[in-house]
Amino acid sequence: MSALYLYPRWLRAWHWINALLFLVLMYTGASMHFGEGGWLMPFDLAVTVHNTAGILLTLGWIGFVVGNLTTENGRHYRIHLSGFVDRLIVQGRYYAQGIFRNEPHPFHVSVGMKFNTLQQLSYLGVMFGLMPLLILSGWAFLFSVSLPETLLGLPSVWLVAMAHLTLAYLLVLFLLVHMYIITTGETVTTNLRAMITGWHREDDPSSGQTEEAKS
Amino acid sequence: MNDQVISAGTGGWLALGLLLLSVLPGAMPQAEAAIQGRLGTDNADCLRCHRMETLGYRDPRTGDLVDLHVDGRQFGHSAHGELQCIDCHEGDFGQYPHPESVLGQQLDCVGCHQELHKADKRAYTFKTIEQEFALSIHAVSDSPKAEGFDCHRCHDPHAFRNSEVGQPIAEIVRAGNQLCLSCHKKIRDPHSTAHLWLPKRDKHWQSVRCLDCHTPLTDPGQPVSHQILAAKDSNFDCVSCHSKEARLLGRLYQYRSETDLAGGGWLSKAVFNEAYVVGMSRSPLLDALGLGVIGLTLLVLIAHGWGRYRAYRRLREDRS
Amino acid sequence: MNPIATLLDPRTKRRLTIGAGVLVVLALAYRFLYPVVFNAYVGKTNAPLTYESSQTLTEAEFEALAQSLSEEARRLKAESVVAEDQDPFARQVKVEMLMNTESFIRDTQPSHIKYFREAGIRQYEGPKTCLTCHATIEVDHPDGTRSTVDTLDDLVNSVHFKFQSSAGGFSTYGYDGRQVNAGPHKIPVGKIDRACGIPGSFTWTGWAALVASRPEHVEEGEVVLRSEGCGQCHIGGNYQPATEKMMPVGDVPSMAKEGIDCLICHARDYDMNQRVVIRDEYGLRWDQDRSLRAALTVGPISSETCLRCHQHNMGGDVYEHNAAAQALGYKHQRLLHRGAKRGNPFSPEDDAHAAAGIQCTDCHRPEGHKIPRGRMGVDLVANDLPDKEVSCETCHTQAPHNNSRDKALLNGHIARLACETCHIPRLEDNNVVLRDWVHPTWDAEEGIWEPTDVYRSGEPGKGFTYLWFNGNGTFLANALGNNPNGADTYDPLMQQIARIDDPEIIAAVRAKAIELKAQYPDIDVERYVQMATDPLSQLSPEMLERRRAMIQANLRAAMNDGESRIYPFKLFNAMMYEDMSNQGPFGAMILPFDYTTYYETGDTQAAVKRAIQDPIVQRMYQEPFKLYMMDEFMAYFGVSGGWKTIYPLVDGQLVNVEPHWMRQMGTLMVNHGIQRQGHDCADCHAPNGLMDFELLGYTPERIAELQDPELLRQPPVNETMANAETPAPSVP
Repeated sequence: MSALYLYPRWLRAWHWINALLFLVLMYTGASMHFGEGGWLMPFDLAVTVHNTAGILLTLGWIGFVVGNLTTENGRHYRIHLSGFVDRLIVQGRYYAQGIFRNEPHPFHVSVGMKFNTLQQLSYLGVMFGLMPLLILSGWAFLFSVSLPETLLGLPSVWLVAMAHLTLAYLLVLFLLVHMYIITTGETVTTNLRAMITGWHREDDPSSGQTEEAKS
Repeated sequence: MNDQVISAGTGGWLALGLLLLSVLPGAMPQAEAAIQGRLGTDNADCLRCHRMETLGYRDPRTGDLVDLHVDGRQFGHSAHGELQCIDCHEGDFGQYPHPESVLGQQLDCVGCHQELHKADKRAYTFKTIEQEFALSIHAVSDSPKAEGFDCHRCHDPHAFRNSEVGQPIAEIVRAGNQLCLSCHKKIRDPHSTAHLWLPKRDKHWQSVRCLDCHTPLTDPGQPVSHQILAAKDSNFDCVSCHSKEARLLGRLYQYRSETDLAGGGWLSKAVFNEAYVVGMSRSPLLDALGLGVIGLTLLVLIAHGWGRYRAYRRLREDRS
Repeated sequence: MNPIATLLDPRTKRRLTIGAGVLVVLALAYRFLYPVVFNAYVGKTNAPLTYESSQTLTEAEFEALAQSLSEEARRLKAESVVAEDQDPFARQVKVEMLMNTESFIRDTQPSHIKYFREAGIRQYEGPKTCLTCHATIEVDHPDGTRSTVDTLDDLVNSVHFKFQSSAGGFSTYGYDGRQVNAGPHKIPVGKIDRACGIPGSFTWTGWAALVASRPEHVEEGEVVLRSEGCGQCHIGGNYQPATEKMMPVGDVPSMAKEGIDCLICHARDYDMNQRVVIRDEYGLRWDQDRSLRAALTVGPISSETCLRCHQHNMGGDVYEHNAAAQALGYKHQRLLHRGAKRGNPFSPEDDAHAAAGIQCTDCHRPEGHKIPRGRMGVDLVANDLPDKEVSCETCHTQAPHNNSRDKALLNGHIARLACETCHIPRLEDNNVVLRDWVHPTWDAEEGIWEPTDVYRSGEPGKGFTYLWFNGNGTFLANALGNNPNGADTYDPLMQQIARIDDPEIIAAVRAKAIELKAQYPDIDVERYVQMATDPLSQLSPEMLERRRAMIQANLRAAMNDGESRIYPFKLFNAMMYEDMSNQGPFGAMILPFDYTTYYETGDTQAAVKRAIQDPIVQRMYQEPFKLYMMDEFMAYFGVSGGWKTIYPLVDGQLVNVEPHWMRQMGTLMVNHGIQRQGHDCADCHAPNGLMDFELLGYTPERIAELQDPELLRQPPVNETMANAETPAPSVP
């Protein structure tokens, strides 16, 4: 059995806080967007909680960026261009076909690289693309009175609202896919455990669980 | 009354007064002094009586209370705070009792404000107000209650001041609606059927001014119109507020200011932001797209998972 | 083992039996033993009650009575309808015609004649009879809801029965700054256990007394028995007040509840002559009218029924229109108290509302047997409905003056003045201000020793004064409030109500002291005058300093609370014997007098000794009582260090007991005796007017403004004529 320590404590802390904030923001966001009713939170409270969670998310994101700049974890986000497209195709083919044929994983987690290329690309997009945009549009809401009346001929608050909404939908989408994809590790829970304990363990092929893991 | 009888003096009245006194056990002696005399005409002189909080009487015709109290401090803070009482209340108010001839004057705001040349330079002049008001339901209604409707019905000249940039919106809403509700009392009645069509009626009353729906739209940056609309002409369209136009933001939220945000506690201002209106982000297209994509993705993921499960079952069968 | 088997297990069975047995024993002990033990502890009696006036009538007697009552009622009503200004004979004929008109008979017949006839009731047996039909009553609440309550429970837990409350709802503050019974430790307080210098006794020591008087008109050596005591009005019990209600458990025994006098409030025709003290094998108690006659006249509550008792504390016993005082008893006639407690009568002759036919319950709107006293309570009197408003504004609004040219100005005063301030221009002359219980005077006419009323007056500034009041009071009934300017210069507990400066009063007190000196040579006239008019002179310098500090630290908050207005307050102080072991800067525990000893012998010390030997006073000086309530009581009283259980009677001698005036005057609210014509402007708005604006905390500039004679000058005739609007005089 191999075990790699891939997720330092700060990273795990950030991840779970971020996850929690995501859930809170989704719930309160939906409450504000759809108005009160049913299982939704009262509007006033939802606004306050959403704003607070949003500010915390911003802080978390800054922490994440700083953490990746200052620790070795950042290397996982560095794209290695040689063979990039090939790896991408291989990985994509695995998810689309290989996985159904019980083919072995084309990618193996190592200390040097814990993400497969597809993963890396999507995380990069989310963390350095969607997240900053979402945060920006959120802050634009908080200070909406400072915005100009119109932007590109459209009411600026409406633009911000639409951007925020679109980004929010995209990130909900990401969350769904993310939660599914992490089940495609060696076993269904390998990746989840890794994010809890910090250790990425792949069981010995001879042990009882391996059969399942190999599947 | 006795005072008056006695002080009325000569001739018949005195005789009648004495006659009355003689039949009234315990009535006051004749030498009793009356409240009578000259006062000054400074604001302080006026307030000497008019600061009494309960100064007033019931109008014998209507039975309604006529409040004569002027809160000196509130007046000082009002739009008219720098004026002398007698600037508006012309006539011989320097004596008590005030002569009948000076009482019951109709004070005309527009007349006074028109004279101030500055007023004309503003985009929104008193002339505009006058024109708008002429179309207002308050002016055109046949209801006896609206008879003689003047500015003072809503704008207490001794207390009124414009809402200010930076004032909390909830306060502006409360103060504004209080003004309307002080006459439109039935609206508050829990059994009132008014506004029942409005979802979250109480919520709207807390956070929207009556005026926001009951006046026609004005240009951005301009105050709310004085043309109050009848109920049937008022805004029933949710989308005019809950939409990309953000009409509310343009009207009510102009009182929020950047300086207000920048000055102390901007973080808490941000957290307790009042600028978000339900439905502002609503876009049927985006909602449909977003929810559709999410639904599709879910289907794909389920199918993918099912495929993986099938593969796993096959593997198990192969082994066994 | 399944649960059933467990239950059947012999060990469990035994345990269950023991448990049930213990419960049964406890319940039985509570039911039968506790009342006996309690009565033995407090030394009070409960016994089965019988009343002589409760007679069974035969069918014929009943019908005869019904006939006479019906006629009486019809005649009264007819006489009020038929005009008086006509030939007497013509009037009589009309009255009789009307009396025999069908609809008139139907509408005027006392309703209970029919009820009793049908139910076969031929004897009135007290609450039992009433409860036959009225076991429960409907109570309307101000929020529009209605509830059904058990009538007896409702009454027994009302202030009229128990005159105490162990709950919150007091607007009274202890001198320690705590609102009475607002904290976790609640003690029973109210008239039942509140020492007071007006009656001079406690409810327990002064409940019912038979006094052997020797009036001058009877022969030497003969005595006339007279009735005296709190029980003449307080319906809570017969041999004693509702003492049982002071405990957190237990109730008044049902035989005491049998003594509840329903009819004194509910019967239109109640014979107050039956309300005298009688002696039976168990002791002294108050008799009542339980005749079928009275019971048949039961009808709606009216002012007349309330005033049977309440005129005593409003107009007073010797007030000429006090109806109950005209029926003192066929025997053992009740003693009349001469100095009036408030001297503001409620009667058509002396009160505008009574004259207009307004009934007590129009303002004091009851909820069942709970009757509101109003939210403004200056004294420590229990209040059934402390949150229910009883005020002039409820009917009169904030703009009550409609008839005067100065109506707006008059209305303007309401923000600062209570209506009573102008509209009670004076109290009855016999309103007592200073009462000396220590030096009684022989009343030859009644043949008893009476406390000496050193000063009586109904004059504003003398018999009553004007104070700021926000609805709060102190433990010893001092109105709290403050000038809305928030100044600390208004300090009535050091000024207005703690000293008398009026030279006329001082002279009157001196004259009385000289008069008393003839009887009591020990009196030092100057010292006497000083103690009576400057009660703070009785305090040591340290005590005085502590008093000042306590007022500042403890009472200012309660004074500045809410909105204060100026109200009139009747002033009262009494010289009584005090237990100096329990003294503080506001007074010491006053000791009660035994009425019989006091009235018969004039030996005040003997009267105190006799009274404090009452078992309940002895219990008061013991540890359980101390812990149960007296420590708390004394804390409110402003006495630090808790209640000292040093019994002041040792070997038949009073120890550490001294005669004193309370260290400040009590202030009682006056709200009745309302006159249509109030004070005139110049009564206050002139130099040396009725109000001492300086003591009321006004600044010198404001005083000058308030007393500005310019405003009140008599205007020259020509000026008035020029300004007068059509003068349309109307009769005020």
